[in-house]
Amino acid sequence: MTMQSPLPPKAAASDPNARSSAAPSPVLKLAGVTLRLGQHEVLSGIDLRADERRIGIVGRNGSGKTTLARLLAGLVAPTEGTAEISGVDMAKDRKAALRKVGILFQNPDHQIIFPIVEEEIGFGLTQMGLPKAEAAARSHAMLERFDKAHWAKAPVHSLSQGQKQLLCLMAVLAMEPALIILDEPFSGLDIPTRMQLMRYLDGVEASIVLISHDPAALRDFDRVIWLEAGRVREDGAAGPVLTRFERQMRLWGEEDDLSDLSG
Amino acid sequence: MISLTSPVEIWAHRLPAWLKLAALSLATVCLFAIESPAVLALAVAAVAGLFLTGGRVFLAEGFRNLRILWTFLVLIAVWHGVTGQIEAGMAIALRLLAAVALANFVTMTTRLGDMIDVVSFLLTPLRRLGLSTRALELAIALVIRFTPSIARKGALLTQSWRARSPRRPGWQIVMPMAALAIDDAEHVAEALRARGGLE
Repeated sequence: MTMQSPLPPKAAASDPNARSSAAPSPVLKLAGVTLRLGQHEVLSGIDLRADERRIGIVGRNGSGKTTLARLLAGLVAPTEGTAEISGVDMAKDRKAALRKVGILFQNPDHQIIFPIVEEEIGFGLTQMGLPKAEAAARSHAMLERFDKAHWAKAPVHSLSQGQKQLLCLMAVLAMEPALIILDEPFSGLDIPTRMQLMRYLDGVEASIVLISHDPAALRDFDRVIWLEAGRVREDGAAGPVLTRFERQMRLWGEEDDLSDLSG
Repeated sequence: MISLTSPVEIWAHRLPAWLKLAALSLATVCLFAIESPAVLALAVAAVAGLFLTGGRVFLAEGFRNLRILWTFLVLIAVWHGVTGQIEAGMAIALRLLAAVALANFVTMTTRLGDMIDVVSFLLTPLRRLGLSTRALELAIALVIRFTPSIARKGALLTQSWRARSPRRPGWQIVMPMAALAIDDAEHVAEALRARGGLE
């Protein structure tokens, strides 16, 4: 287990011992993925192959971003088609999924299961079969890596929203998944908190899929996928995709599609 | 909100949970065997002394945790005052005070995880029979995790009601609160699945 500090991001990224240079990036593969919730088709015929280390997903509310995140993490199975990470079906093989993929929900209150910080971090590790003592030791190592050793015994309800989000990130990182999916983890956070969390993320060795409303957060990413009405509208290098995305969002912003009801 | 393990670390935090729980059980049995109010008053004083070994802040916290008990104590005192059994009333009130304070002392000095470990050990026979006890252990943690969170949501609903009504909210917020609790349950189920579920 590499115990490098998440700061500064540049040093972490160029660390020769970093996992990115040792292990190959996980390969996301979606083939003909359609997902229906009741009558509503949330995702429609998505084909995708990606192995970049930093992948961004943009799209409007209701475009299927969150559903896609849950699908990639194996929390929901597609109605049609297949979704795999490095050749393994995440929805079927949950045991393998724990090592392959971690997910950070939009609202940390939907993610935190335990009342005490160290228990929350330790849970995923015992789930992976580690003995309790070892899980506790690793939880503390994770807290120390972020200079948060003093949080160990804190009750989670005493944490601020940004602190809860960081706790969720530490709990996911402790399990050392090859890929981390983040579903708009920064919405509702103030600018300094967002910047601090973003800096922590920069230092993460694992591959990242980040869902965001904020094109600025994805500017340096290797690839950006733009979802619209459950389909891939654009897919490619961050710069051009984000420019067209922003232009379209501004165009739509001048219209009044808020009055349209779905269904 | 709900205070469990005390943030003030004292000597008792370092004792094993099973020892504290065993001593608590023994002490409670003794308390119920004692009839004399004078001896029970001594027991209350001894428990207070036990709290004092943790320092003044810890003692104050111990007092605060007994707040909920006062109504019952007053009720018992009034009832026995009316029926003329003052001595019996004193004994019951003092016994209750000592027993609850002592139980709180154990709660305040024991990490939840250690408490669950003891429960898990005691449930070993059930596991031998092939029943899974992990769900029960998790349930304890979930109750403690979500009690403050649901209470806060209730407070928010109350505010939302007040923002649009001159009357105080009553039973009307029970349904939305129940819906929110179900919502929470679905999110936890998903969070559990994301980290390997319960198999």
